[in-house]
Amino acid sequence: MDEELAWVIQAQQGSEDAFTQIVETYQKPVYNLCYRMLGEAEAAEDAAQETFLRVYQHLHRYDQKRPFATWLLSIAAHYCIDRLRKRKFAIFSIDAEDDEGSVIELPDPGSPDPERESIKREDREQLHGLLQSLDSTDRAAVVMRYWYDFSEIEIAESLRLTVSAVKSRLHRARRALAGRWQEDRSEFQTHRRPHESPAI
Amino acid sequence: MNHRPFEDWIISEQALNPVEKRELESHLRGCKVCSSLVDTGVELRSSRMVPPKAGFTHRFHTRLAAHKLSERRRRFWGSLVFILVGTFLLAWKAGPFILSIFASPAEWITFVIGYFLFVATSIQVLTEAVLVILNIAPVLVPAYVWMIIVSALAGLGLLWSVSIWRLTRYTQGA
Repeated sequence: MDEELAWVIQAQQGSEDAFTQIVETYQKPVYNLCYRMLGEAEAAEDAAQETFLRVYQHLHRYDQKRPFATWLLSIAAHYCIDRLRKRKFAIFSIDAEDDEGSVIELPDPGSPDPERESIKREDREQLHGLLQSLDSTDRAAVVMRYWYDFSEIEIAESLRLTVSAVKSRLHRARRALAGRWQEDRSEFQTHRRPHESPAI
Repeated sequence: MNHRPFEDWIISEQALNPVEKRELESHLRGCKVCSSLVDTGVELRSSRMVPPKAGFTHRFHTRLAAHKLSERRRRFWGSLVFILVGTFLLAWKAGPFILSIFASPAEWITFVIGYFLFVATSIQVLTEAVLVILNIAPVLVPAYVWMIIVSALAGLGLLWSVSIWRLTRYTQGA
């Protein structure tokens, strides 16, 4: 029996320490999924906390035949999808929310090429922004595929979709991301001054 | 070769043989869509995991404690309201009846005995009626009608079981 399963069984029997170990181990993947889904740090923190709270409440329902990480991340993904659906109907504008709590990635000072680091950071930020333009379920599928290496079958189980639906969603999402990426690049090149350095 | 297979190769990330690789490289030189697909694929694959701010577990325990406290409060107030409302309704409905028992016990005992006699007589009459129907029905209703009724009941039972199974299948996702 592996260590993770032992913690889960102990937590199911009411051990707070075992549940703390689970939170310590999975806080980063759960938070990252919420951050990629919701696009901002504050909402991601709240969603990750809520995910662990739900896991704590429903741990007795966990089927030990299924990988724990898949179960946990599917709860996080569903919570984020619900939240995004509710957000669509919220009165507050999304633009106002975007200014709050976004993670600022600073260039690595130890990097041998700060200019290249800066470009990489811009690309990551651009991709993060583009992810937010996807449909919430497509976004969850992309995050699970590329950040967690989930197979199409695992994504289908987690998001309650068929495998063919996952394939078509991933295909559609990748095409949409590439299309917007290309648009952004063309716009950037059009707006750049002719004498400006291509790196900045 | 048209554009679609290249797009599928890039998105599915399948292993390519040297000839396919050369074809893809040559296609990428002229196709902006596929170049963007490759670029976004590289970005997606190289994106790092964003960690939460330090102290996440501590904040979770604070939230869990607050949640447990609010649950306890909610349960306490719920129980209190339930008991108070129940007591009030009981007093309101049963109060006059209880008072009448204390006022004239003989009348109350006569009423209770009369009520039990009525129930017993009703059960006896119903049993006799059912027995009569059971004796007559097999003669009046042909065998194939019984088969249809039994099949319909079995079908409904199966439908019910499948519905329950489908409804409970996804409880894992919480």
